[in-house]
Amino acid sequence: MTTVQLFITCLTDSFFPQTGEAVVDILHRLGINVDFAREQTCCGQPQFNAGLRKDARAIAEHTIKVFENAIGDIVTPSGSCAHHFRHNYLELFEGDSTWLPRAKAISERVFEFTEYLVDKLNITDLGARWDGTLTYHPSCHTLRGINVDRQPRALLANIHGATLVDLPNAEECCGFGGVMSVEHPELSAEWLKRKISNLEASQAPTLVVTDAGCLMHIAGGLSRQKKSQRVMHIAEVLNHQ
Amino acid sequence: MNIFRERIVESINNETLQIALDNNTERRLKGRATAFESIPDWRERRQRAHKVRADVIDHLDEYLAQFIAKNKENGVIVHRAKDSAEAIQIILNIARQTSARLIAKSKSMVSEEIELNHALEKEGIQVIETDLGEYIVQLRNEKPSHIITPAAHLRKEQVAELFHEKLGIPYTIDIPTLTATARKVLREVFLNADIGFSGVNFGVAETGSVCIVTNEGNGRMVTTVPPVHIALMGMERLVSNLDDLSLLLSLLPRSATGQKLTVYTQLLNKPLADQTRHLVILDNGRARLRDPALSGVEGSPLKESLYCIRCGACLNACPVFRELSGHAYIGKDKSIAPYPGPIGSIVSPGLLGENFVHLAQASSLCGACKDACPVDIDLPKLLTRVRAGQAAEGRRKTEEGAGLSPVTKFGLQMYTRLATHPKLYAVSQKFASLGSYLISPHSQWMRLPALTGWGYSKDLPRFAGRTFRERWIKNDVLVNKMKAPATDKKDSSAASHSFPQSDINPVEQFTKELTALGGHVYQTHNPTQGIIEFLKSRGLDKILLEPNTLDESLLQKAGIGFTHETDPEILVGVTNALCGLADTGSVLEADGALHASLLPEIHIAVLKSNDILPSLSNAIDLVKDKKAAVFITGPSRTADIEMTLTIGVHGPKEIHVFVDDSISG
Repeated sequence: MTTVQLFITCLTDSFFPQTGEAVVDILHRLGINVDFAREQTCCGQPQFNAGLRKDARAIAEHTIKVFENAIGDIVTPSGSCAHHFRHNYLELFEGDSTWLPRAKAISERVFEFTEYLVDKLNITDLGARWDGTLTYHPSCHTLRGINVDRQPRALLANIHGATLVDLPNAEECCGFGGVMSVEHPELSAEWLKRKISNLEASQAPTLVVTDAGCLMHIAGGLSRQKKSQRVMHIAEVLNHQ
Repeated sequence: MNIFRERIVESINNETLQIALDNNTERRLKGRATAFESIPDWRERRQRAHKVRADVIDHLDEYLAQFIAKNKENGVIVHRAKDSAEAIQIILNIARQTSARLIAKSKSMVSEEIELNHALEKEGIQVIETDLGEYIVQLRNEKPSHIITPAAHLRKEQVAELFHEKLGIPYTIDIPTLTATARKVLREVFLNADIGFSGVNFGVAETGSVCIVTNEGNGRMVTTVPPVHIALMGMERLVSNLDDLSLLLSLLPRSATGQKLTVYTQLLNKPLADQTRHLVILDNGRARLRDPALSGVEGSPLKESLYCIRCGACLNACPVFRELSGHAYIGKDKSIAPYPGPIGSIVSPGLLGENFVHLAQASSLCGACKDACPVDIDLPKLLTRVRAGQAAEGRRKTEEGAGLSPVTKFGLQMYTRLATHPKLYAVSQKFASLGSYLISPHSQWMRLPALTGWGYSKDLPRFAGRTFRERWIKNDVLVNKMKAPATDKKDSSAASHSFPQSDINPVEQFTKELTALGGHVYQTHNPTQGIIEFLKSRGLDKILLEPNTLDESLLQKAGIGFTHETDPEILVGVTNALCGLADTGSVLEADGALHASLLPEIHIAVLKSNDILPSLSNAIDLVKDKKAAVFITGPSRTADIEMTLTIGVHGPKEIHVFVDDSISG
């Protein structure tokens, strides 16, 4: 039986544990054994993106140690964390003959959840059912960071009963940007406004994302504006029977 | 709140600016997308362009030596400037030697970088910007807000006010009238300037050519009309040879303005008769960006930023720029960064240091800029390097977390402590959860104060009562009934982009392209006769004629006066085109044809049908033995006011091409 490691991500762990449960459910149904290394915390992306490389390294070293002796591919329900492992770990340890090979070995094992389903398991129909209309926001790091776009779209296209509509200007950032949403709240607010008005224009009551960052940001904006639309992680939608 | 954030808020609250910026963004993105449809292999070209630029930067010293030697051979006076002060001194010296009082200047971002205008004006030399957008911002005492469209932040009403007030014309928002006014005022400047000043888009190492791309014709004026021409270039703007140039020219205008080629693609090799050309090559931190020995930073972390060809596509794609425009990108000393947008937030601190490092923090690293970049610069990666303090200030690295607020920095460092101690981490999650229930006992969402940043426009979800790691303990080894994986039968691979090859012949394609740009094409067995008929139909009887172009005895018989001597009063110029380009509708003119194809309002070109070549890359070698050459693609134009296309700025308003098919067969 195939075993995978779940990298839950700090945001999903603390804010959206139900997303993690959906990931585990789906993988189990596909006959995949899921392992969760309890020493895991965060990949260090916030520190890296803020420019705090020393801090980012410390967290990366911790994470590498947690996963390097664990069995199987590392699956994570976040495009931006997958991007961080795949690209930024190599940047962080560049020129370090001890850590670079270890970082590289980890980075090659990491897959974003939908990427894992479609590219590794060759599955696009999970037998999911959804009554209603869905629209998809491609998270920046999923779309442009790791070039994962046809995978989530293929999975969504096969949800039984769901009507999939286009989100206008879908490829625009929602304004989360990690630390940017705190450092430059005014900028972040403008993009969020635009994202929400595009969501309204799509007329879909449910927005699907592949990253807890965008989820928290867009849903937080909807809550503040007292809107009725909701934002869901793709794993939860795909786990809906 | 720091000064940069204050400026951001000002921009966001400026409604006029926001409308102008939305206009700019939407039109530019659409234009760019459409232009790239005509080169289906653009992804591959982009990778090649990346390699071409990487090779130049890796061997910059050799290419520079070759380029300089070639220019000296071509009769160009070459100067090298280590920094702004040296460059200004060199240009001032040239101005003094020539007793210059008036300089006509076309667009040069490098001149903004060294703040040249200010230095010249202090010495009593009048400098007039002649690009329409630059002219507008100069009249307003502003800096350009965009590297390609300097007045992108303004609406036509503001330009109308400005021209009414400064140029004394009646208030009008009619863009063609505003443009015609600028044409009239600036025409005098071109004719009376002691020095013409320009930037450089590319230098070609193999031939020494200086390539300048413009639309309005002012770039041609300043390099052709005044007795002295000074070209100022950043030392990194080289390509190895003409083939590489034509590759980059297939990407630059498409990325910048959505054009297949700009109206005027000039290649200057040797000075014209009675003309002196100076070439000033500026370092100003560029060598430091590429050379670890100079930067004191290992691995030259920002080297890739030197690949930039200054097309501005990353500005148009950037959601930050879309809110701000160039004027909000300011340094700690409140000065406006010479280069805005994603590339600017890298090269402004890269070249000019600490003063601008905080700009790189204003980005979500969304990667739209990288996608738009025609030479595939990894801009988000470079932004994180600036944030990591890798923009060198002299020989010293700046601090990690450059530009970050102290509170955020402290918070992240505390978080690092937790994230490297799993037990402590799990305990802190419990505290966070408890805290969030106390703040918001009845709702899933917490409303935090605006000063937290997050609370400014969104609520924060409550921390989960039971985190995933806690739930996992209970659910360990949860084995459901296994379903056999459904096999994927659908082919989900992306549709391949195949574009039908056009079957139309070169003359037809040429005609289609040029007509689409507002030019006119006529097929004829006898161009002289055709042109006589055209002139008569328009009531014109005098032309500025390039020698050996038309049957002059036939002209005399028909009563058409002609001269070979430049005369700015003549309305029609007739030239012989060296070749045409089918895919862009361009004609190539050189040397003796330069004035006749530029100064008159109507340009007529005679083109042999056999001389129509498929594309720029097939024609570029023809310029090698010319002093100066220009590919002309349609009538002179601008979109500097509200992105509205206006025909006829400084160059001809009309272009008519008579295709001579008498020898085709």
